Amino acid sequence: MATLNDELADFARAIVLRTALSPQINLSYPNYSAEVAIEVYRNNYRGNLHDTLAGAYPVVEQLVGNDFFRLLTHKYIEQQLSANANLHHYGAEMASFIATFEPARELIYLSDVAALEWACHCAYFAEDADSIDLARLAQIPPEQYENLHLYLHPACQLIPSKYPIADIWHAHQPGADSEFHIDLHKGSCNALVSRKENVVCVSELPVAAAEWLLSIQAGIALGAATDAVLESHPDFDLQSLLIKLLHLGMLVDGDRGE
Amino acid sequence: MILPATDTLPCTAGIGLRATHYREVLESLPRLGWVEVHNENFFGGGAPLNTLLKVREHYPVSLHGVGMGLASSAPLDSAHLSALQRLCAVVQPAAVSEHLCWNTASGMVINDLLPFPYTHQALSHVANRVDQVQEKLGRQLLVENLSSYLSFAHSEMTEGEFLAELTSRSGCGILFDVENLYVNVRNLGVDAMAFIKAMPAEAVKEYHLAGYSIREGCLVDTHDHPVYPEVWQLYEQVLSHLGARPTLIEWDADIPELTVLMGEAAKAQQRMEHIHGYAE
Repeated sequence: MATLNDELADFARAIVLRTALSPQINLSYPNYSAEVAIEVYRNNYRGNLHDTLAGAYPVVEQLVGNDFFRLLTHKYIEQQLSANANLHHYGAEMASFIATFEPARELIYLSDVAALEWACHCAYFAEDADSIDLARLAQIPPEQYENLHLYLHPACQLIPSKYPIADIWHAHQPGADSEFHIDLHKGSCNALVSRKENVVCVSELPVAAAEWLLSIQAGIALGAATDAVLESHPDFDLQSLLIKLLHLGMLVDGDRGE
Repeated sequence: MILPATDTLPCTAGIGLRATHYREVLESLPRLGWVEVHNENFFGGGAPLNTLLKVREHYPVSLHGVGMGLASSAPLDSAHLSALQRLCAVVQPAAVSEHLCWNTASGMVINDLLPFPYTHQALSHVANRVDQVQEKLGRQLLVENLSSYLSFAHSEMTEGEFLAELTSRSGCGILFDVENLYVNVRNLGVDAMAFIKAMPAEAVKEYHLAGYSIREGCLVDTHDHPVYPEVWQLYEQVLSHLGARPTLIEWDADIPELTVLMGEAAKAQQRMEHIHGYAE
C-alpha cells in the first residue's frame, strides 16, 4: 500500500506537524480555501486531545485556571503525540510532564495532584472484581493467616506525596465547599484510590498502612507483610485497616481467573 | 444476566447516549426506541461498561466506533478489534458500525475521522479490512459515509460509488449519515441526489442526523446543534428514495437536556411515519 500510505502520511504530517498540504489535495472549494480546511483538521486534532486532558485532569485545571491549563495542554500535545485510537489512554505522562514544566515550577504539589487524577481516571476504567466481605474473611482459619495472600481490587492504587493531595482533590470536587484552607506543609500524604459501585473514591492511609498495602500489592504474604510493618511501626493497627479496605470494597476474591 | 434478544435495530428514532445522560436515562427510563454509544468509551470495562449493561437491559443498543480506522494504511489494530469483539460479546448490540475514514499513518494517531482518496487501490484495501472486522465479530458491520473538509484530486470514484462497491464486495451494511452528506454538498460540491441514487437501498440499515457549525465558510461536523431545516429536508428526500430506517439523533458537544434530544428524535419519528409509514 505504498501509495495510499504515502498520501495518508503526508496528510497526517500536515495536521500534526503543520507541514504544507500535498499537491494531491484539491486546493479550491466552493466556500473556503484549502488552508481554512486544513486548519479545521489541525484544530480538531488539538481540540480533541485538549478536551481529553481536561476530562482526565479537572482538578489540575481548576488549580491553574483555564488560560494556564491551555498553555500546559498545548505544550503537552506538542510533545506527546497520540499513540492510541482510544483517547482514554491519552494523558498518562502528565504528572512527569508537569514535573519538568518550567512555568509550573512554583506549584510544587501540581505533579502529584496530576498523578492522583490519572490514578482516578484509570480506576474508573479498571476491570471489575468480586469484593469479599467481613464474613468471608472471618471464615479463614487463624492458622492460615501467616501465609495468606490477600488480593486488592484492580482499581486500588496508592499515590504518595509530600503534599496534602487528597485534601486538594476533595476541595475541588463538584459540590465541595468553596471555602477551604489547605496547609501545604501539614506533612506527607498517602492517597488511596478505590472504586465501589462505579464511584471512584479518594481516601488517605497512614504511613504504616501504606507500607503494608504496597507489600500486599507486591504479592507478599499477610504474615511477612504485617511483621515488616510492625518492626518500624509498633502501633500499626491491622484490624482497622482491614475493615477500611473491606468497606471500600478493595479486598477481592483471589480465585478470579485462576 | 439475560438480555432481551435483538439483532437488528427497531425502525424508530433513537438517540446518541453520552455520559451526561446515563443517570437520568436509568432513573426515568424514558420512551426511547434505542440508543447508540461510542465503543471506545467502554473498552476499559469497569464503571462505564457496568452502566451500559444496565442501559442495555432496557433498550436495544447500537455500538458505534470512532477509532477503528478502516482506511488507515497501517495494519488493523488487533487490540482495538479484540476489545470490540469482547464488548459485542457482553453487550449483544443490535448494530455495530464504523466510519469510512482513517486515523493512523506513519505512527501518528489522529483521533479524528479523516478522508482519503476514493481509488480502486483504497477500495480493495478497505474491503479487505471490513472483511477482517466482520470475520472477527461474526456479524455485519455498518460503514458510515464521512463528512469532509478536504478532498483528493485523484479520486477515481465518488464516496457514494465507493460505499456501494464496498457493500457488494464485503457484504457490509451502510450507515447513511444525512448531515455528513449535507456537509459534503456544501463543502465539496457533492451532488446529493447522485449520492442517494448510488446507495443500494437494501444495504442501508441506519440513518444519522445531527447539527453542524460553520468556520470561515466551512461546515464542520460538530454535533453541537439541533438538526437544521436543510438537513431535515434532505432527510425527507432520503426517506422517500430509500425508505424508513432506524434513525439516530447525534449530539456530542454542548449536549442539551435529554428532553431536547427526545424532541429531535420525535421529529425524525414523525417524518418516518409521515413520508413512509412503518416500512420494513
